[in-house]
Amino acid sequence: MALALTYNTSHTLVRMRLAALRHALRDQLRLTWIVTGGFVGLVLAAGTIWVAAKGDNDVLVVVLAVWMLGWVVGPLFAGGGDETLRPEYFTMMPLSPRTLSTGLLVAALAGVAPVISLIALLSLAIAGANVAAALIAIPALLLQLFCFILASRLAVAVYGVLLQVRAGAVIAALVNAFILAFTAQGWALIVAFVSTDVQGTLAKAARIAPSGWGLVAVEAAGRGDWLRVLAALAGLVVLGVLMLVAWSALLVRRTTASRAGGKVGRPLSGTDPRSGAAAKELRSWTRDLLYGHKAVFAISYGLFFCMMPLALGWKAMLPWAGPAAVVMAAAMSANLYGADGTALWSTLMTPGANGPDVRARQRAFLLVFGPLTLVITLLLTWWSGYASAWPLVLSVLPALLGGAAGLVVASSVYAAVPTTDAHKRSGNPLNSGENEGETMGIVYVMLVLVASTCAPALIVALNAGWWGVPIGVLSGVLAWWYFGRLAIRRLDRRGPELLTLLRHGRSPAEQARKTAGLDALPKWKRTLAGLCLGFGAIPLFPQAVVPAIFKLTGNDDTRSWFLALYQTGPWQWIVIVLMAALGLSMYAFGGLTYYRARKRAPGASVAAAAG
Amino acid sequence: MEQALELVGLTKVFGEERAVDELSLSVPAGSFFGVLGPNGAGKTTSLSMAVGLLRPDGGTARIFGVDVWRESPKAKALVGVLPDGLGMPERLTGREVLTYLGLLRGLPEDEVGRRAAELLEVLELDHEDDKQVIGYSTGMRKKLGLAVALLHAPRLLVLDEPFEAVDPVSAATIRTILHRFIAGGGSVVMSSHVMALVEQLCDRIAVVADGKVVAAGTVSEVQAGATLEDAFVSLVGASTRGADGLTWLSH
Repeated sequence: MALALTYNTSHTLVRMRLAALRHALRDQLRLTWIVTGGFVGLVLAAGTIWVAAKGDNDVLVVVLAVWMLGWVVGPLFAGGGDETLRPEYFTMMPLSPRTLSTGLLVAALAGVAPVISLIALLSLAIAGANVAAALIAIPALLLQLFCFILASRLAVAVYGVLLQVRAGAVIAALVNAFILAFTAQGWALIVAFVSTDVQGTLAKAARIAPSGWGLVAVEAAGRGDWLRVLAALAGLVVLGVLMLVAWSALLVRRTTASRAGGKVGRPLSGTDPRSGAAAKELRSWTRDLLYGHKAVFAISYGLFFCMMPLALGWKAMLPWAGPAAVVMAAAMSANLYGADGTALWSTLMTPGANGPDVRARQRAFLLVFGPLTLVITLLLTWWSGYASAWPLVLSVLPALLGGAAGLVVASSVYAAVPTTDAHKRSGNPLNSGENEGETMGIVYVMLVLVASTCAPALIVALNAGWWGVPIGVLSGVLAWWYFGRLAIRRLDRRGPELLTLLRHGRSPAEQARKTAGLDALPKWKRTLAGLCLGFGAIPLFPQAVVPAIFKLTGNDDTRSWFLALYQTGPWQWIVIVLMAALGLSMYAFGGLTYYRARKRAPGASVAAAAG
Repeated sequence: MEQALELVGLTKVFGEERAVDELSLSVPAGSFFGVLGPNGAGKTTSLSMAVGLLRPDGGTARIFGVDVWRESPKAKALVGVLPDGLGMPERLTGREVLTYLGLLRGLPEDEVGRRAAELLEVLELDHEDDKQVIGYSTGMRKKLGLAVALLHAPRLLVLDEPFEAVDPVSAATIRTILHRFIAGGGSVVMSSHVMALVEQLCDRIAVVADGKVVAAGTVSEVQAGATLEDAFVSLVGASTRGADGLTWLSH
């Protein structure tokens, strides 16, 4: 009886999900994201299978661990994972928590990401040494997939609980920052590990982690070690059941707990429009756990990112922790207006409030991140002992702070992503809307844009030392002022449109208009432009900017995948310049193609006239 | 006679659908004006365009002769708005919302403090002083929204469903406040589904259906001898259902 109910529930939920997916596929913008994500996923899955085919199981098991890590960490950056079917929708259904969570789990399988993971997990069958091992691989890979998805759902639920209390939000932020910094700094660690036996240790650890149990079973089957096969598979089953039980319990909590804010202190006082707006903004940073979470995340990411190489005794990155934190903070704050949702109406209906509001958001950003990153920079640069780094970081930091404070409001106004209003949100504090792809895209673009605001200061500092500092301060002030003014002007002119966007999201008609010009382009051109925008960062940053910084800071012992560092003498600079030119022209081509297509779009002139 | 709100040919198209279609409306100064209409008739869309929250595809809106879209700041100083279903600065308390929005409007600090305290007290929100807006009930949100609309003592109030989800005691309070506002020379435009309320409060009404005004005038003009409810049902061209079918509902 219970089983039949669970089956029927799962069946219906899968149908709901597929219906939602069908609608998503009709939506040009989301289709683009799904296809891009799917393509990248397929490439990664193919890579995993290739590793398995090469027979290098030590590497395979580590790769599988990375897949699982992706499932656990991914939702944090993609707005709390897939929330097509929220448990809240079903609270009034006469279903037991276990039935509902099983149903939701099965429904979670009906998506693009699980299919791609399934393809990647086919590597288990390929890694099998003989027929028996290949047969064992089938249950192993299915169980492994279930574990991936369950771990992902459980992680989201656990973060959800943590984010409801201040201490929890801080812990979650620290953990996320550590994990993300770890994946980003992997190249440095791997370079060091290759020559030692750390690689073996890593593989051993990855076999002990649940992500490796499937492979352990397959390997054991190949050797005929059936006891081990049984133990590994049983381990996956038990772990899966445990995670399911825990997840159901957390779902009950999520759908029944209240979400009222905590106690508040005395109102911050203000005496005029400027201080009124500023106090309003600072309150959000100190009271909204999600804001706090972002702040702690950005700061600790910068610290972890630059301190991890300390494990190898390499201190050259220490001075850059402050600047890295600023860049990350800007990327995390790129959707301020979207995050506040339709509350924008209260500013919009107040004559002359746009200016104070934008400047207040900038000031709050600088107050939260400015002093902290300055102290971090001073302390860590002093600790690193690289005297030559002083003029560089002290030029770059003010430039970045100003650039970030400017770009944060500009992108919040120009590229706002609608989110669900705070009081209507689901019990998942990570999920603030439905458009993860767009949010992710803006995070990446902001990382690039904000980082590039320090270019003038950096160039001057590299050539003329301390002269970089005034240039950095000047360019910071300019960026703060100019981008802020841009945001204010835009709000003055197009405020109602922004409110409409935040209120209703993008209507299918608007989207059609947005993509109409693109649709008119030949398909190859559209694809090429998309690829250029998607991958232009690779030649520009890791292949040009990063090796340039390495060379300038005199770091010669790390080559990793930086092509230029494998050259000799002047060729290094030539490769760096060529790569930078390639990256920039990819961006230019992609950007121009989109821009021209948009200008030609039939509705564009109407929209412009209305503005 | 001076017009508190004048809408001429307002049009809004969402995709294929004309949500508001050449809608025109005049609200004389000093009147309590009710906008009636079935769900999806375009009431909220029209009122949003009338006050500057949604840009119309065509037509004009004027508040006391000031064009809402050409002289936005000037028009917005004259009007107080209670929108339906829009967010609030969620992480602030009610008192903070009023204080900061008042400061943003350029009111002096002590004046803002006095007005906020009075509004909160009258609307019975003052004992919730340590509660952030995110913890407010729907009715409390409405009341706070009304307080925001009243804070700068506007000449015109535009209220979208002001009585929705508000308890009877608060509703009586709000009615009293609105009557005093009219008596003090203000004008009110209010949308509502509740016929009895409109009949009791308003002196003039307009009925909106399919994005157009199908009838407008004094209450007795629109009623035309029947009850307001009957007049409404026949005006929007609907027939009440529910008498047939649904047999499976009886036990």
